[in-house]
Amino acid sequence: MSVLPLDAADDVAAEPGSPARRQGLSEVLRRPGGLLAAGWLLFVVVASLTAPWWRPYGVAEQDLANRLALPSAEHWLGTDPLGRDLLSRIFTAGTEPLLSSAVTVLVAFGIGLPLALIAAERGPRVERVISRVTEVFLALPSTILLLAVIGVIGVRTFIIMAVLGVLISAAVYRVMLGVAQSVRTRLYVDAARVNGLGSLRVNVVHVLPSMATVIAVQAAQLYGIGLLIVAGLAFLGFGPAEPDPSWGFMIQDASSYVFNAPWLMVPTGLVLALTVIAANELADAIAGKAAGEAAPARRRRRSPALTAPLDGAAELAPADPDAVLEVRDLTIAVDDGADLVTGVSFALRPGRVLGLVGESGCGKTMTARSLLGLLPDGVSVRGGAIHWRGQDLVGRTEKELTAVRGREIALISQEPMVALDPMFSVAYQLTQPIRRFRGVGRGEARRIAAELLRNVGIVDAERVLRSYPHQLSGGMAQRVCIALALTGEPQLLIADEPTTALDVTVQAEILTLLRALVRDTGLSVVVVSHDLGVVADICDDVAVMYAGTVVESGTAAAVLDAPEHPYTQALLAANPHVPDGVPVPVRLASIPGTVPPPGSWPAGCRFATRCQFAQDQCRSPFPARPAHATGSVFCVRADELADAHVSWDADPVGAAHAPATTPTAGASR
Amino acid sequence: MLAFLARRMVMAIGTVLAAVVISFLLVHATDTSPGAVRLGTNATPERIVAENEALGWNRPLPTQFFDYLGDLVRGDLGTSLIDGRSIAADLADRVPVTASIALFATLLSGVLGIVLGVTAAVRGGRLARLITTGSGVALSLPVFWVGILLVYVLALQLGWLPATGYVPFTVDPAGWFTSLLIPVITLTIGGAAIVARTANAGLRQALAQEHVRTLRAMGTPEWRIRYVHALRFASLPVVSVLGIQFIALFGGSVIIENLFALPGLGQAGQAAAASSDFPALVGVVVVATLVVVVINLLLDLVVAALDPKVRAA
Repeated sequence: MSVLPLDAADDVAAEPGSPARRQGLSEVLRRPGGLLAAGWLLFVVVASLTAPWWRPYGVAEQDLANRLALPSAEHWLGTDPLGRDLLSRIFTAGTEPLLSSAVTVLVAFGIGLPLALIAAERGPRVERVISRVTEVFLALPSTILLLAVIGVIGVRTFIIMAVLGVLISAAVYRVMLGVAQSVRTRLYVDAARVNGLGSLRVNVVHVLPSMATVIAVQAAQLYGIGLLIVAGLAFLGFGPAEPDPSWGFMIQDASSYVFNAPWLMVPTGLVLALTVIAANELADAIAGKAAGEAAPARRRRRSPALTAPLDGAAELAPADPDAVLEVRDLTIAVDDGADLVTGVSFALRPGRVLGLVGESGCGKTMTARSLLGLLPDGVSVRGGAIHWRGQDLVGRTEKELTAVRGREIALISQEPMVALDPMFSVAYQLTQPIRRFRGVGRGEARRIAAELLRNVGIVDAERVLRSYPHQLSGGMAQRVCIALALTGEPQLLIADEPTTALDVTVQAEILTLLRALVRDTGLSVVVVSHDLGVVADICDDVAVMYAGTVVESGTAAAVLDAPEHPYTQALLAANPHVPDGVPVPVRLASIPGTVPPPGSWPAGCRFATRCQFAQDQCRSPFPARPAHATGSVFCVRADELADAHVSWDADPVGAAHAPATTPTAGASR
Repeated sequence: MLAFLARRMVMAIGTVLAAVVISFLLVHATDTSPGAVRLGTNATPERIVAENEALGWNRPLPTQFFDYLGDLVRGDLGTSLIDGRSIAADLADRVPVTASIALFATLLSGVLGIVLGVTAAVRGGRLARLITTGSGVALSLPVFWVGILLVYVLALQLGWLPATGYVPFTVDPAGWFTSLLIPVITLTIGGAAIVARTANAGLRQALAQEHVRTLRAMGTPEWRIRYVHALRFASLPVVSVLGIQFIALFGGSVIIENLFALPGLGQAGQAAAASSDFPALVGVVVVATLVVVVINLLLDLVVAALDPKVRAA
């Protein structure tokens, strides 16, 4: 009769009410387990409540000739030691546990849920008071307390189960508080408040529905726990008195006949067990857990055979004999699904910095991650090649890639605060790869770690080494991440939005640091960024990406000074970073429309749907042409537009080629 | 760290006080009286009144409460209304029985559950589904039913283990061990299921963390990512579930003790509840709470050792 921890709660509470997790009733019932569970629960409840009308025998009716009988035509489930019909007794006995367990659930949620909503709404002080009180409740041994209640008030099952509900409400509160807090942090709740909805209405209309899944999961689990406890109490003799049947006492009875009549324990135990299993399965089905549990393992597929280039943007960048990294025709796709990146080609020479730039969703991060073979599960490279120092990284086994990672190519990720393991000290996280990469002992590794930290501009290296990630600021954490990336003395650094999560002043420091590293160590760097300022600041070369493909590439100076692709022009016109000495434009241009999602890319130029200059010829496939000496541009009208000296109009309203679509990102002054 | 421990100590004392207050009020809210319980059903009302007076039942409630607290601090839990024995001495014999069952079952649940949960999270596929489904069934089974099934199979059919009864360790260590085996296995079936689910979910969550990608990008060997970094991350929920497990087993051992005729704390609680032996009831609640509180404090220390954020707090 252990009062179980409400275990699934942690899972669900981790991502409360995210849209994918909110399922309708029909969704739950579509899972075979969920349907069976709901069906069995319904059957047991209906059969138990109606038992007095359909049961073949009275509960006390003895058939002394047929004591301890096995199932037969007269007694479908057999008989007990007094020859009473098990079928009749089991379902008559069901009413009390099925109803009183519901009482426990109602009481526990009736107390725990409002308290959680209040604590989440009223802020930390109220929350702390309520939480302390519930912590005391949680620490009380509830089973023993229930016995004390029975000792005092006697066997009154419904009251006892209500008391259990009070005790368990502390656990319900704890789970619900986490969910309610995270729901309240979402913007629409604030919006509702600003709109003047009262606190009760905000809770009922906005907060509770988002918690519905978690509530349903918890309630179903708690119901199962309640059933076990009622039955357990009856097993101990704290249940209905003979001859009235109870599940617990029938099993107690069976335990004394287990030697000569083992069948006796089967029907009652099975009905009880199945009912509890059904409650738990229903909880799992609501949480959608089983679906998630089925496919956790990380199994890497080898990339399928290379396919021909899909689009026109092919074979452009001429093979560069000096390039250390050369990506050709790279295609990345969801397995059995849409392409995410197609025909991407670029080359990188030693000691140079390449910027992959574009709006979010253009495939730049996927491209960068593919260089390390670190695509998310279910996404893989479908074609093309990644030539890295004479070997093709596409199609390598995980083991071969592991030898490259960190040692030859290293990654600096977007969010330094979560990129380090919170459970280990900085010293451990740095010395561990140092020892592996450089084959040195503990003391030497520690010395190298301190030196690396000083190299990335950390003055107080010893203190930082002793720190844990949560004790570092964002900028400090990013410096540690850069030091970590340098532990294997790689030749190529991939920096995925290295400054996006940082304060503006810290951003400049990190960029300066990266620039200094390139200068001092001869590293090559691929920087992924949506920020043209970052690109202008540290990149030698740039590849502008749009909708999964490179639309323009070349040296950073050439591309930024004389952009030939309308998309690059539009990006520059929308960029608020204005170089010194240039007059601030009257208004920043917005680019009308949005990036088309993977799978719905038009043939020909993918920017055509949003381009001021789009014509019919843009909508059928065409090849890219060389541009900017080492790069290319993928625009069929590029020459024409250059000759006509037209460029992206910052104010599309007055433009001759104004598209019919309306701007989505508001232009600002 | 010290502030954290001090706060937990205050919580612990508060919890014990709450247990005493609740059980004390509960006992005094009833319409029966200790005199009536002690003298049985044949006593005249006059004798019951006299007996209550002698037991100090009619003194003001606060006086009785603080007297009880004073005795409690001295380790005196009063005497049983039924047989007049010292409750403290009786419970002192019983706590080791319950503690050893709870401890063994928790350890076994931990080992088995972690192995199963980690296997499910790492291997995935059909094996993971089997473990998940199996643990879902196992944690739904009523312990008393599982216990009887095991007795039937292990004791009656196979004759490997004794069916019921308890042999004190001092009398026969081997007999003591075998007498605890079926109860411990019974409790482990549900316990391991809960631990397996927690370990599985925790490890899968850990492997989806951003810092695991950093480790992969650094070419860290997969075994190190799984069994050093991810397992350490998942250890927090697993440890707290193990703690809850031990507490639940300690407080919830009443059924298993009843089923296997083990002279533990739960059996005393059941007997006291059945006979309305008020001082014994309060004593059982207080002792169980004390044990729970001590375990919680130990758990806090383990969590602090595992989690640098807690240590720094």
